[in-house]
Amino acid sequence: MSARYGMVIDLDRCTGCGACMMACASENNVPSLPQASACTGLTPMLVRKVSNGLQGSERHEAFIPILCMHCEQDTPCVHVCPQQAVEVDKATGIVMQMPQRCLGCRYCMTACPYHARYFNWWDPAWPKGMEKSLNPGVAPRMRGVVEKCNLCHARLHAAKEKAAAAGKREIDPADYIPACVEACATGAIQFGNLADPKDPIAQESQSPDAFRLLAKLGTQPKIYYKSKEAWVRALAEPNSGPNVEAKHV
Amino acid sequence: MKVTRRDLFVWGAGAAAGLVFTPVPWKLLDDVSIWSQNWPWIPQPPRGPIDFKQSFCALCPQGCGLKVKIAAGWPVGIAGVSTNPITRGVLCPLAFGAHQLNWHPRRVRGVQHKGVPSSWQDAGAAFAKACSEGPVVVIDGQPGRSASTILASFAEKHDGSYHVEMNSETRALVPYESWTGVSAFALGYDLENARTIVSFGAPLLDGWGIPGRFTRLWAERAAGMSDPQLRLIQIEDSLSRTASRAWKWINIRPGSESVLAAGLARALIEEKLVPAHGPMPDITVSDAAAQAGTTEAAIRDLVHTIAERPPVLAIANNHNPEIAALNVVLGAVGAHGGVVRRSKRTGKYIPAEAQIPNARAVLIDSSVLWDFAPESDAEIFRFAAWDGGSQKSDWLLPAPGFLEEVTDVPTAPTSAVETYAIAPQLSKPQFEVQSAAQFLVTIDPTLPTIENVIHSRCGYLLHQRRGTVYGPEVTAVAKFDSAQKLEAELSKASIWIGDPPSPGGLRCELKQWPTEIVSESPQNWASIWNAPVLPPLVTKLYRESTLREAPDRRTA
Repeated sequence: MSARYGMVIDLDRCTGCGACMMACASENNVPSLPQASACTGLTPMLVRKVSNGLQGSERHEAFIPILCMHCEQDTPCVHVCPQQAVEVDKATGIVMQMPQRCLGCRYCMTACPYHARYFNWWDPAWPKGMEKSLNPGVAPRMRGVVEKCNLCHARLHAAKEKAAAAGKREIDPADYIPACVEACATGAIQFGNLADPKDPIAQESQSPDAFRLLAKLGTQPKIYYKSKEAWVRALAEPNSGPNVEAKHV
Repeated sequence: MKVTRRDLFVWGAGAAAGLVFTPVPWKLLDDVSIWSQNWPWIPQPPRGPIDFKQSFCALCPQGCGLKVKIAAGWPVGIAGVSTNPITRGVLCPLAFGAHQLNWHPRRVRGVQHKGVPSSWQDAGAAFAKACSEGPVVVIDGQPGRSASTILASFAEKHDGSYHVEMNSETRALVPYESWTGVSAFALGYDLENARTIVSFGAPLLDGWGIPGRFTRLWAERAAGMSDPQLRLIQIEDSLSRTASRAWKWINIRPGSESVLAAGLARALIEEKLVPAHGPMPDITVSDAAAQAGTTEAAIRDLVHTIAERPPVLAIANNHNPEIAALNVVLGAVGAHGGVVRRSKRTGKYIPAEAQIPNARAVLIDSSVLWDFAPESDAEIFRFAAWDGGSQKSDWLLPAPGFLEEVTDVPTAPTSAVETYAIAPQLSKPQFEVQSAAQFLVTIDPTLPTIENVIHSRCGYLLHQRRGTVYGPEVTAVAKFDSAQKLEAELSKASIWIGDPPSPGGLRCELKQWPTEIVSESPQNWASIWNAPVLPPLVTKLYRESTLREAPDRRTA
């Protein structure tokens, strides 16, 4: 049976510490270049701070981790890619980005409604010797290609290899946990198979507090969010929520 | 057979047609694509056998358990250890890039004397000469380690003095020393049993204490709940990360924490929410409210909320006697869910600055924060793995970097229970490095080595026959039949945890209300980090995103 890997992120638990961003960058050999800025850097996992727009003691803030939503339906980046460098893996539901095929036109970046894709403006570089600290499971990508979250596909490969070595066809779910999920200090990010009704996240995704960003687009993202706060849930559809001014800080 | 021109055409056309139907051109195209991604100047990760080992982080006093991915002998990835009952698999964000630090451009690669390359022999001779000419002050930033024992022993044997440069979390416990007679190093917070925590600017959810302790507790008992089991009330002048996630945020004027603590204590007594014993603060509730930028009604309302769900614990961000005195009024000292005594450790806080002016030499261990700069004419011997810059030291001595030495990990400053662990060396040093303790052993060979002190500590733990070792299996210390076996188990990155504190083991007497007004200064999110530099990946958090502000004076 094919899986549908996804996440449920409990925004009431997110403290915005940034451990998920660090773990993601370390796992995927994302370089940190001195010339990179908030506009040109690579942050496949990006935590944004948002507020209810009020001031003083009435002000409330929350943190929203933004990553590739792994859209299931009419995946915008897949449709626009002229190189077939993006595809939805039928076995896992993961939206895969193949940098070898990418020619860097950035059409997918324009098409992505979540701004979850990043262009590699420079060749990856680390201070002298620091390449010895890179994860051998993931090849550094060259400049001129688009990058994004692939749910730590190298970890899925490792889990498959382990299962195959043990003569099994299915992986042990405990062997495949993306780096951001493993790093989350409060357990706010939960990962699992949405297609398995017994999986806790499949049940969590049906909670009345769960929502998806820009659900009206009909792309069926596999990243769900959860919050008990009405003003946070209103962020999902910026122009159709209740009378709360939600702002990106 | 004669080959004609026609045969050549037929052969060529057939080959061209055949080639199209073979995978060769597509394979060539694929290979060219892959090759074009692998220019020689693109850095390549190390290739070799992959292994996972465990150790502990020694970059700050919290000592978090690490699961380290190792490739070809080099650490290439860090994760938490979920079986560690103290850290519970949680790490601070900085730890995920810690394996990059050993390659940081600011790594101290050799001995420097006044900025000029020198040698360990010269440094040793200069230090031995200084020791013979006058008193030496030894400064430690992480007391309780085996290395600390060696530093203290050296100072004692050579008529010098040993001092600890405390971090803000331990300094917050210093006021209790004079009221209880117990060292601040023996005190901790029983967070697990508290039901209301009043934090005066302490970043409880952003780098305070052991990362996995309070954040997990908060996630399980408070996050997203309108009536949580654990109420976190954050009193702070700005909407910090902790304030934004707290059950209540009380917005006050900057620097008015002490006054508000006194006002809360007075309101608690006046409203008869606590037994009226001991001294009363001089300040009235209305004066406190005016100075803190709030109202008397709000303070009276707040004390009812605070007292509604005991046990209540107040936590200061730094040394603040009035906040400590509020805990005395609340009955939180020596009580369940309050300030508890975790060990019999002795030793009082004496500021190092008092001794330094008369010293001939000052030796600063690499565990001391780089910002510590003694104002003195003494010869400064500073051990550091990374050069933070802009700091005067006569001798800069290269210390082991991340996971480059065997060290032991004592109890974290805010912990309610005693812990002990041994952090195995997982990375080979690239340069000729020595820790301050190793250096002193070369100066005075009669001192014990770190390994010897660790042996004797394991022997002491076995002799005490209390506590439990948590590793792949959970084993009571009493079940070990030798100190060697206990040490072998701890060397596999297991952790010894002492017995939980018993309430009532701490008598506290507050004779008069403290008058020292302390202004809490907000801590930088990276300030607990010992190293003066940050892993390059940290730029993701402040430059390549807008998640955090750039840390002061730290270079990634």
